[in-house]
Amino acid sequence: MQNSLSLMKGFGWIILAAASIAAPPLLANIYWTSVMNMIVINSLMAASLRTIFLIGEFSLGHVGFMCIGAYSSALLTMKAGLPFGITLPAAGLMAGLTAILIGYPFMRVKGIYFVILTVVTSESFRLLAYNWRSLTGGTDGLIGFPGAGSLSIPGFAQIDFTGFTEYYYLTLTVVSSSLFILYRLEKSNLGFTWITIREADKMASAVGINVLKYKVINFSIACFFAGVGGALLAHSEQTLSPQASSVFGVMTTIYFLVYMVVGGKSSFIGPIVGAIVLSFIMEFTRPMQEYQPMIIGAIAIAVVMLLPEGLASIPAKIDKWRAKSLNPLT
Amino acid sequence: MDLPVQAVWQGMINGLALGWIYVLMALGLTLIFGIMHIMQFAHGEIYMIGAYVVYYLTASFKLPLVVATALSMVVMATAGLILERFIFRPLKEDWLSAVVATTGLTLILQSGAVVVFGLYERSIPLLAHGPFNIAGIMVPKDRVIAVVVAVVLSLFLYLFLKTTKYGQAMVASAQNPEGAVLQGISPNKMAAMAMAIGCALAAAGGTLAGSLFALSPFMGLPPLVKGMTIIVIGGMGSLPGAFIAGMILGFIDGLVPILLGHAWAAMGPLLLVITILVIKPQGFFGHAE
Repeated sequence: MQNSLSLMKGFGWIILAAASIAAPPLLANIYWTSVMNMIVINSLMAASLRTIFLIGEFSLGHVGFMCIGAYSSALLTMKAGLPFGITLPAAGLMAGLTAILIGYPFMRVKGIYFVILTVVTSESFRLLAYNWRSLTGGTDGLIGFPGAGSLSIPGFAQIDFTGFTEYYYLTLTVVSSSLFILYRLEKSNLGFTWITIREADKMASAVGINVLKYKVINFSIACFFAGVGGALLAHSEQTLSPQASSVFGVMTTIYFLVYMVVGGKSSFIGPIVGAIVLSFIMEFTRPMQEYQPMIIGAIAIAVVMLLPEGLASIPAKIDKWRAKSLNPLT
Repeated sequence: MDLPVQAVWQGMINGLALGWIYVLMALGLTLIFGIMHIMQFAHGEIYMIGAYVVYYLTASFKLPLVVATALSMVVMATAGLILERFIFRPLKEDWLSAVVATTGLTLILQSGAVVVFGLYERSIPLLAHGPFNIAGIMVPKDRVIAVVVAVVLSLFLYLFLKTTKYGQAMVASAQNPEGAVLQGISPNKMAAMAMAIGCALAAAGGTLAGSLFALSPFMGLPPLVKGMTIIVIGGMGSLPGAFIAGMILGFIDGLVPILLGHAWAAMGPLLLVITILVIKPQGFFGHAE
């Protein structure tokens, strides 16, 4: 039975990859391509949010680091004239460095206190962008920075990423390699150290693991990818607004959390499933825009009350149920 | 820098009023967290709905502001009881699920408010008209009344917790739930009471803010963030810590935009929190964990 489950998982990955690669030519629609672009970015945000969960902490400030990444990349292309190939990692580094700086004081507290601090952080970053008129354009937002443009890969070719479809493939490449890195990190020694810290932090420090250091490393890696996601978002929209109702508001951070929890926080695929399913639900309920948050909130509450392990646990549950019905004695 | 004295005074008075509104939020949050160990992320929405209830009572039923506020506090306390029974009580054991449920509740209540109340800015009647003139400095009456109301409510809560039987039971339940159960104090009853009191305080805070400034479905977020910052700075479960931290945050909001600019006012609370965490991670008056 274990075999069929892993087979199902493999099929799931293949279908996901095929669907995401084949979608733009099949849909042949700029609107849906941009929706897919958003979904791909959301998956990266949800998956990197889950990386923080590996050390047992919960962040409600992920959107703040996304905001840092978006503004860094936009300002670097706009004011310094750097190409997108440089500003994308620079945006991630900027978010990661900020995370290191605030990670040291913040990781001294645990649990709900950390959640509160991350909320305060993300709101402060948004308000900074809102009020720092000379740099970020303040309430008017940031308009007119260039898109991805053409990217030259040394010794390979010059690829033009100005179109929607091309940009979608760029996003897909960046996000899938980021997801691969996150996955490998989780399965590496570093990932096991994080899980050890989550399960027994006192024990971990007793056997010589520098708990604070590993927590900060974890936080900064997760925030690095949040910054990358922000840069990808910034150059696809090409406008940034720091309003409370914009994408950098607290609402988005709650959405990321809901993606992660509804999809299932205990497996790597969970947050990605959550991001895809909920983004599609949001897309199809767009005619009832003002009810959208209500629907997402109701789904979140229903899932934590009825299916605490999330959607990703459904195949395993079905498998167990089938095994039981086939062989009731086990 | 040459600043008019009047502007600085104005900033201080505004800061004081804001600070006390934040304190009302923080008291509710810390009370609920102390008993149930759930951080009520939807508290800002309770604050917002409380203010709207007052708006409708004063605008449609022409009730005087005092009566409307009292009624709104009762209504929100009842709403708090319902939330406690059906959402918070089943999730008390798992703090992660509780965070998701309360943030989901925020989404539901906020979008519900947009649907029901609309996106127009509305306002509650002013608390009072005109300024006091104290030694040549104009002090607006409504700010003073807001501060007085908030101080009186906080004092009531303090006295309730210190002197009455039920208040002492709540303190006991927060300090040692098992011990409290052995003394015949029901944790569920205490949780319901904490929710009711917390929501009533939030409704009062929302009414004060709505009368000083304006109502909108998104007004709950800033005071919620400030209330949570107060808890971190002042220490969880500490009333004096909450008062001091509330004053500091209020003055940051009132004075820093005038003196240093809005960008510093935005970063002020975060920098303050980081400083406190480096020096004293458990907050001014918090207990070591």
